[in-house]
Amino acid sequence: MAENCWVIVPAYNECARIGEVVASIVNRGYPVAVVDDGSTDATAELAGCEGAHVVRHPINCGQGAALQTGIEFALAMGADYIVTFDGDGQHSTADLDGMLTPLVSGEVHFTLGSRSLGRAIDMPWSRTLVLRAATWFTRLVTPMPITDTHNGFRGMTRHAAQFIQLRQHRMAHASEILEQIMRSGLRFKEVPVTVR
Amino acid sequence: MIAQVFLTLLLLVALTYAWIATSRAPAIGVTFGLVVLGGLYFVWVPSHAIAIANRLGIGRGVDLVLYVWVVFTILAILNLHLSNRALLDRITELARRIAISDAKDSIASGKTKDDPEHP
Repeated sequence: MAENCWVIVPAYNECARIGEVVASIVNRGYPVAVVDDGSTDATAELAGCEGAHVVRHPINCGQGAALQTGIEFALAMGADYIVTFDGDGQHSTADLDGMLTPLVSGEVHFTLGSRSLGRAIDMPWSRTLVLRAATWFTRLVTPMPITDTHNGFRGMTRHAAQFIQLRQHRMAHASEILEQIMRSGLRFKEVPVTVR
Repeated sequence: MIAQVFLTLLLLVALTYAWIATSRAPAIGVTFGLVVLGGLYFVWVPSHAIAIANRLGIGRGVDLVLYVWVVFTILAILNLHLSNRALLDRITELARRIAISDAKDSIASGKTKDDPEHP
């Protein structure tokens, strides 16, 4: 397990799964910050009950904004490594160590989860098609040889996190973060992950 | 004549708004005011709009006015979009500062569980 690694979970109305997600991360010994993006359900309360630090947007700002808030909070808490993790239970905590190992060893500054290199369980064919199209488009417009563009499972060192300044508050942040990684000139690699 | 009077009344309302806007945003107020004055001029001297249109190879004066109006409308929409974007950025930043500050306070006060009623 990496020392001083914070796991950031942006969440909006995720009361159905957030408790389970937070508990599984806490059980692995990582501090968790759930960024509750103005949820109208009990997301914040459930996350707090499972031991997460809750960073609560007073209004809904979008997933990109929540991610940026989480990154800034983790940096303020002195995190050396930051992992972003979706709150809907689609990611597996079994992949956490795999995301961190290349960061801790100094091999790269960013790790990006890839379901293409790993496994996608029960993903509808329509979603597979859309994701492949998005990946194809990203590879067309950027020189990044990546296989999964819209995966919220990412890792970064403290140094790398300081290069991330998301201004796309909604879903377009997925492309923006790749662009900022590319512009930072820092090293990155994809890590196989399982997505449900 | 009826149309000219009607358009003039509408443009005078717009001119009043431009005059008021000048104190808050001088560049926008003055530009808007000049556009409205141009419109008033062409409403009452349409032959000049036709002459200018002919020189520009457009044909009819009304087409010239329409094209200019389309350009200004697009610029206005762009201006609104940028203003809206800047406002959204400021609101998001405010929400972020509040959220992080509350979370830090919660940690400083030794709370490990979220209690939104008493942060």
